[in-house]
Amino acid sequence: MSQNNEDNMEEKEDPILEDSIVISEEAEEALAEIQEEGNRKKRMWLLLLLLLLLLCSCGLFVRYLVQPEPLPDIILPFTGPGSELSYPPHYLFSIYGLSQPVGVTLSPDEQLIYVSESGDERLIKVFDRSGNPVNSFAPPDTTQGYRSPVYMDTDDQGQLYVTDRLQHSIVIYSREGKYLDSILGTDLLLSEFIAKHIQGNMPEEITFSYNIITRELKYKLQEDGEEFSLPDPDPAVWAPLGLWINKNNDVFITDVFEGQHRVLTFKNLNKVKFGRGEDFDPKPRSFGASGQNAGEFLYPNKVVVDSQGRYYVSDGNNGRISVWGDEFLYQFGRGTGDGALSLPRGLMIDDRDRLYVVDAVDHAVKVYDVSGDEPIFLFKFGNLGIDDGLFNFPNDIAIDSTGRLYITDRENQRIQVWSY
Amino acid sequence: MSKKLLTAVLILSALLALSFSIASANGGPHGGYTATDDACAGCHRAHTASGPKLLVETSTYALCISCHGTAGTGADTNVDDGFFLSTRSASTDGTANTTDNAPLLGGGFVNYGGVAVTSTHDVSGTVGSAWAGLAGNRGVLTAIDANLDCASCHDPHGSTNYRILNTTVNTAAVTVALVDEGAAKDYDTEQWSTGTSSLCAACHNAYHKTAAGQGSTLDAGTYTHRVDMPFNYGGNANPETVGLGGFTLPLAETGTNNTVVCMTCHLPHGSSSAMTGFADGGPTGAGIPPGNTIAADSALLRLDNRGVCEVCHQK
Repeated sequence: MSQNNEDNMEEKEDPILEDSIVISEEAEEALAEIQEEGNRKKRMWLLLLLLLLLLCSCGLFVRYLVQPEPLPDIILPFTGPGSELSYPPHYLFSIYGLSQPVGVTLSPDEQLIYVSESGDERLIKVFDRSGNPVNSFAPPDTTQGYRSPVYMDTDDQGQLYVTDRLQHSIVIYSREGKYLDSILGTDLLLSEFIAKHIQGNMPEEITFSYNIITRELKYKLQEDGEEFSLPDPDPAVWAPLGLWINKNNDVFITDVFEGQHRVLTFKNLNKVKFGRGEDFDPKPRSFGASGQNAGEFLYPNKVVVDSQGRYYVSDGNNGRISVWGDEFLYQFGRGTGDGALSLPRGLMIDDRDRLYVVDAVDHAVKVYDVSGDEPIFLFKFGNLGIDDGLFNFPNDIAIDSTGRLYITDRENQRIQVWSY
Repeated sequence: MSKKLLTAVLILSALLALSFSIASANGGPHGGYTATDDACAGCHRAHTASGPKLLVETSTYALCISCHGTAGTGADTNVDDGFFLSTRSASTDGTANTTDNAPLLGGGFVNYGGVAVTSTHDVSGTVGSAWAGLAGNRGVLTAIDANLDCASCHDPHGSTNYRILNTTVNTAAVTVALVDEGAAKDYDTEQWSTGTSSLCAACHNAYHKTAAGQGSTLDAGTYTHRVDMPFNYGGNANPETVGLGGFTLPLAETGTNNTVVCMTCHLPHGSSSAMTGFADGGPTGAGIPPGNTIAADSALLRLDNRGVCEVCHQK
């Protein structure tokens, strides 16, 4: 039945089409021309589009050659607690032009990357976010044999604090790298010492320098003025090594003076007007002692604090992380497996209380979730080698709010940039 | 009962003395391991090592300067700059037996005294030769059995020798006795005793001449300065206590008759001494000592030019 209906319909349709569409030859030609014109335009647009794509590709290729950076990284939801993301980051690119870099940190706006070198001239080198060199500097009146910048961080004003292992001091620079002052001990500031000796207000134009090895302290009241010397300030019994600054501008330092390895915490150091000769007596909290027992340190390299106020100290030669509150809480990292530590050095903690530990001789960064009562090992990334994404004695790490990680890769003479 | 007590006391005393001697000789991560120790992972991997001897790294020097480099992230003995990095202010005695930033007795591989070195032992692990490596070939660079790196001379696991020096170097036995340096180590005053030269002689054996009158005895075509000898031979001034113009040289502590050894004149790690005029043995220098082809090479000497001669001989 249905078959018959279909046949009938076909029979009815054919005569209708034949009768109703009567097209002249001219019209057919015109129609063909219109269609051809349309096709030509389509082909032209397609060609233009291809040319545009080709131009874009060439442009990107040229940009890559000039600035070897991969395409902008895709920003994943990195900040903010509560997310369940726990996969490792991926390698982005490297910044070269460095000699045995050891320390790394960022400006408060995260647009500048500061790197300390332990090789060649031992400078602080500054790069922009894309890895272009911006600036470099060192303490005044020192040659490379008299300085050794190691760990560093910036406060909310952009002032850069750098521990110098040979100068036994914390050197303060402006955001642009202008030398401001040196902290010579827990209660001794270089400009304070000078102000007391010149018995007057510090002129704005004063410049000064101190070399702890040559024991030379020089100052000029004006830039082109006469140079004066002062007696040795008798620096304090300390050896600052690690340095980290939290969002409240509290400064956390590790002190590795022989037989007195400890952590020092200074409150609100950014309120000190460096270089102006102010009285300096911040009365830091101190905890820890030298040794291998629980609650003791052997070359603590860095300290960071989580959102609950717990301190994490990379206890380098003891191969562990030491955790403190008001008192010693616990330690972790010894043992076997991926989460075990060999020589923990640089530390960083992100907004979700993920602790990043740079293991210098395992050539990797190990990440733990420390938001709970006990640390949970999440993952590690990196391995020994010279290719992209491989490390050769990494030492320190900095993290920005977009999920970028900057890691000093000492023997590969570079900073590696990773991202989530 | 008293015998048992006495025996127990003796055993305990012996154990204490043994443990003290191990700690004194080595300390830190270099020794003192236990059966339950997990310190091995600091430098070794059992199944995934990248370097020989199951090391985590193929370059021993790069591994060592992770602690002992200029950043001093794991040690006070900064061998790159030849400085001791702990601190002691001018008015306060710390626990250290070495003043802040004192120069290390071994010199430095990058700087010494804040100045770039002019000669070093190349510990990159690529050079397998030594001056005077064979008897009779003084002034000639000769192949040795192994390439040179930090572990060629030092045993990171500890040693009975002074400053964890190996007991065997380049297949030769080495014994460097330690003079008591007190409770804390002393890095800027020599505390080595007899046998110090045996370390150098393990590779530079043609220079190790100890017989009296050696300097005037033709030996295999050349003469050479005697070592392991008393400083006052021929009425010389004591280079350690008297010196010349404020410059002194260290002697090995061998009792009343302090002894001239290789390290009296040479810094084994590296020296920043300046070589000018006839002392510059390089192609641009005026002097031409045999075999020396490196401009301004200071031959690891402790003092500028030939100051090491004058401090003793004072001609």
